[in-house]
Amino acid sequence: MPSLDRRSFLQLGLGVTVLGAVGTACSPATPAAKKQDARTFTIYWNAGHGYQAYKEVIDQFGKDHDLQMNWQKFQWPDLTTKLTADFRSGNVPDLVEEVSAGTGTQYGLAGNVLALDEFAAADQAFGFPGDFIDQAVVARQYEGKTYSIPLHLTANGLVFYNKELVDKPPTTWEEFLEIAKATTKDKVSGTALNADSSYSAPFYSQQKVDFSQVAGKQFMMPADGARTALQYMQDLIFTHKVSPAPVATTDYSGPQKLFSAKRAAMFVSGPWDIGPIRQGSPDIDLGLAVPLTGAVQASSMAGAGLMIPAKARDPKLSWELLTKLTAVKTELAATKEAGMSMPRKSWAADPAVAADPDLGTIAKALAVVAKQDVALSASGKAAQIAELWKKAYQQMIIQHAPVEQTLADFRKQAGAAL
Amino acid sequence: MTRRRQAATAWLFLTPAVLFFVLLFFLPIGNQLLTGLYDADGVSFVGLGNFSRALSDPEVLHSFLITLLYAAGTLIVGTAMGLGLAVILNQALPGRTLFRSVLLIPYLTSVSIVGLLWRNILDPQVGILNRLLESLGLPGQTWLSTHPLATIVGITVWSGAGYTMVLFLAGLQGIPGLYYEAARIDGAGPWRRFFAITLPLLAPTTLFVSIIGLIGTLQQFALPYIVTGGGPGNATSLYAHRLFIVAFNDNDFGYASALSVLLLLVVLVLSLLQLRIGDRANA
Repeated sequence: MPSLDRRSFLQLGLGVTVLGAVGTACSPATPAAKKQDARTFTIYWNAGHGYQAYKEVIDQFGKDHDLQMNWQKFQWPDLTTKLTADFRSGNVPDLVEEVSAGTGTQYGLAGNVLALDEFAAADQAFGFPGDFIDQAVVARQYEGKTYSIPLHLTANGLVFYNKELVDKPPTTWEEFLEIAKATTKDKVSGTALNADSSYSAPFYSQQKVDFSQVAGKQFMMPADGARTALQYMQDLIFTHKVSPAPVATTDYSGPQKLFSAKRAAMFVSGPWDIGPIRQGSPDIDLGLAVPLTGAVQASSMAGAGLMIPAKARDPKLSWELLTKLTAVKTELAATKEAGMSMPRKSWAADPAVAADPDLGTIAKALAVVAKQDVALSASGKAAQIAELWKKAYQQMIIQHAPVEQTLADFRKQAGAAL
Repeated sequence: MTRRRQAATAWLFLTPAVLFFVLLFFLPIGNQLLTGLYDADGVSFVGLGNFSRALSDPEVLHSFLITLLYAAGTLIVGTAMGLGLAVILNQALPGRTLFRSVLLIPYLTSVSIVGLLWRNILDPQVGILNRLLESLGLPGQTWLSTHPLATIVGITVWSGAGYTMVLFLAGLQGIPGLYYEAARIDGAGPWRRFFAITLPLLAPTTLFVSIIGLIGTLQQFALPYIVTGGGPGNATSLYAHRLFIVAFNDNDFGYASALSVLLLLVVLVLSLLQLRIGDRANA
């Protein structure tokens, strides 16, 4: 046997290492790894919706199917980023929470999530779409296909007010301004507007403004109503000084935090802020009032859904979990825990729900939800146009840009993007 | 041992590093370049269309301009501050090791924590700074709304000044004390000694600091994303943030790839230019 000197030994060792490393990198995944992967069920979820009611369902599902449940929670922008990257790579989760109605349609038309109608038709006990409130379903459908199932159904536009500071809640824009002026004192603002542009929707909907009319390539029309709405919001900050200018962040909880700190008397938001206020500031006597009336009374629809990626390993299994998470029993448990409102008719008919005054107010807000333009989601440009609106809204509300000109610029840019 | 065998041995030892760079750097860059030649869906070949689109896209031009402003502000203020701190802490002061360590902490802290920390400090309504100003009877600040880019520059400088200081300290400690002694005998005052000895002899360090700083600032993404989300409006939507929006919000990976290749070219050209200027100054 030939003897090895130190250099030859090193050469041999290095050669083996390099070959081994390259071989490992180029080889397919081992069966063992595959087996372990197959037993893992991955769910992407919004960090603010990690309720115990859902955790219990997910844990039980894992036990029933001998699965390792990988429940990953993100803020909405991070969830969207991760999901986009996953769709590109083909390595997708098994079930995903949808940020709002229409997102699933956008993904579905690109072939990234499944149309769920066949699953629903084969599962009569699930009660879709019959047991779901129409607006929540229609907003998720395009050309006869449904790309997500509603998980929550909420409305943005409720007036939150501190009963210690506000005797009678406002019902019109004029009253809202009057009360905001009367309650602005020292360190307390009458109200607090949100930096998140989606919170402008109740205001412009109350002026009968449509965010988009894709067929005519029009945005924020009619123009007079849009100008009135945004000018009113801008004036609350810069003319009447009854609201601080919001700070541009990715966080939408600024007004709620101010309200919880007793530094704002009122603000406009949705049911998702009830839980944080009740739990974080139990000493505040919280009042909840129906959406304001401008030209009309209106709110904007909100609420997450659930969707199944087209490349999910076992879509039937994903569907099964989806049905458990959206069952009326789970809905009632989540409502009891977090005050969240839900999309099932049988949920609304439940005595516990019908007797709850907050939920009664939410139901009234849902009755005046403005229509959504489903064609915008189907255009595949909804996110791009939302980003343009975010820029325009912040320019008007934070940077005090002229309303008419900024709206005109937005219409031009959004039209070009479409 | 023959020359050929020596070369083979050298190549064998170099192979892991070469493989590492090829697989993890050059191949992705090549892939990026290729993706930049296709449309948003990655289906239709558009040639240099994405690159020419970038040159006339007002959003991209705006983001590039504010990135240059951000880079210039950060480099100038950051380098001056790092140098100033290094000169002060190079003196035989009591507790200087503690000060050096404390000043380095922001650099060692994760950018996410730095971003969240400053967002909480500067928030005009619930931030700590305005509470402090209020208690002193002073008016509150709204810098995140009124001067967002300058605020991001300030946070970057705060975060990186300690590292720049360490680099300059290393440079200062390489200057022989003899020069200062001779200058003192010749009657040179502190300012004269600084401008005639310290600054010229720190030129290589300054060059290194400015190149590293330039590369880092042109690629800055996390800080504005966390602190302002690129807003208000698009006031802090730096180039890398714009690129992120194009890729992950607009879903246009072809265009985003072209933008990233353009950024690579800009960084390369500016870095080479800096090296050139540095070489001439040192010659």
